Amino acid sequence: MSLRVSSFFCGSGRGYLSWPASTLGHDQQLRCFSASSAKPGRPGLRSAPPGPVPQGLIRVYSMRFCPFAQRTLLVLKAKGIGHEIININLKNKPEWFFTKNPFGLVPVLENSQGQLIYESAITCEYLDEAYPGKKLLPDDPYEKACQKMVFQLFSKVPPLVTSFIRRQNNEDGSGLKEELRKEFSKLEEVLTNKKTTFFGGNSLSMIDYLIWPWFERLEVLELNECVDHTPKLKLWMAAMREDPAVSSLLIEAKAFRGFLDLYLQNSPEACDYGL
Amino acid sequence: MEDATRTFGKGSCPPGPVPEGLIRVYSMRFCPFAHRTRLVLRAKGIRHEVININLRNKPEWYYTKHPFGQIPVLENSKCQLIYESVIACEYLDDAYPGRKLYPYDPYERARQKMLLELFYKVPHLTKECLVAIRCGRECADLKLALRQEFCNLEEVFPVVISSTAFTNRKSSTPSGEMENIFFHPRSITLKILGYQNTVFFGGDCISMIDYLFWPWFERLDVYGIADCLNHTPALRLWTAAMKQDPTVCALLIDRSIFLGFLNLYFQNNPDAFDYGLTC
Repeated sequence: MSLRVSSFFCGSGRGYLSWPASTLGHDQQLRCFSASSAKPGRPGLRSAPPGPVPQGLIRVYSMRFCPFAQRTLLVLKAKGIGHEIININLKNKPEWFFTKNPFGLVPVLENSQGQLIYESAITCEYLDEAYPGKKLLPDDPYEKACQKMVFQLFSKVPPLVTSFIRRQNNEDGSGLKEELRKEFSKLEEVLTNKKTTFFGGNSLSMIDYLIWPWFERLEVLELNECVDHTPKLKLWMAAMREDPAVSSLLIEAKAFRGFLDLYLQNSPEACDYGL
Repeated sequence: MEDATRTFGKGSCPPGPVPEGLIRVYSMRFCPFAHRTRLVLRAKGIRHEVININLRNKPEWYYTKHPFGQIPVLENSKCQLIYESVIACEYLDDAYPGRKLYPYDPYERARQKMLLELFYKVPHLTKECLVAIRCGRECADLKLALRQEFCNLEEVFPVVISSTAFTNRKSSTPSGEMENIFFHPRSITLKILGYQNTVFFGGDCISMIDYLFWPWFERLDVYGIADCLNHTPALRLWTAAMKQDPTVCALLIDRSIFLGFLNLYFQNNPDAFDYGLTC
């Protein structure tokens, strides 16, 4: 296993070690890259574009609290893929980041051939196809199609959660909560029909990882009541927390809350909260 | 054409199980989403039967095939149902032998899926333009938005004609509408998603992504918005190349029949969907 010392820092003399994710969890604890116009001379400001991706690793441009990027991190973890993480300050994006994804969004994968892949679901499928080991998507064409149909069923949840988070202080979220409950009932129906613990069968698979990040956030967002009438979904959530990849990437509630408060104020410090 | 059959409407009897060796597609002759699936069935030479659904008068039994009664839906002889046009197309490519429409290489597959993301506003915008025009409403803003989406797709192709292309792009139309179009920094999209000298979106040969885009481009003329391609020469070249493809040709919808359908459809006539059928 090789040590890679990253030299992105300007200012402070602290070196930074970047370990493959399958060893330690602290590679997640990397400060964001920000726009170069941010406070010059601030110690620890990283803005210069990173170099090429070393052979044998894949790079993911991410942000520690982003649910979409968490999908990709889950798959990287679950498949034991050696990777490095570069966190992006989403409230102050470095200019070079738009050369990685013209939409300027995370997650983005970059491999040592310089190929770039974006859109979280596309990155996850790419990793499953390109890397050996346990396949997260089924081989059977119909079962694979079923996972994609469930993914479609889930698709209203992220925008609903975002609307709930962004609602103004005087708006009560009961309308949004009701809509969420409706979406969750659809997912409950899938589990009822399949008679399995997970959405793809009796073991955890791609679809479970793709939808997990939003369920992880229900508690800290005080939306847990939305699964009160969906017992199978509740059981699924508990089963998910037992998964090694899921549990290794769980975000501490206080940290998430701290991040969210700053993020909603558009603070450029939000993405580095807790570091 | 395999799909030249009368629609099933309310009160109709549900069709029986799908015979072994065939796959069934629930469709409608003029629907662009179902068109995708029919293109893939044809391109791969998959034996299939088509059941057309009257979308204004859906049979009650159809909701057992799709919870919201949408098309297309695939049903196989094992009673397995697959819906969402893109999922159905991928299923057919995975499940059936012969020519693969998606590339084998994982990166190339991902690239086609990223290209599909570039397209996502087109179906809604083309429909909105059609409705506006048919209802006699102004649609300059909608057409501008559609042109913007086409410009984004144009970015994927290298500049095909050297100086004239840029001149054409920068010149404004008499109404000055071009000024408002923002081009993605071309070098970035081209660098990430583009190839050198390709005719089709996936390379030198037609592939899945081309079939997934095609139905909306086929309809531009009959919808009355073909001028939205005026500033995208590479897309026009692609359209011309697509019209040479045997699969595309085999499924091309006759212009006068399509217009007949549209006329009846906008009069809310439930017989619209069977327009042009002789039997």
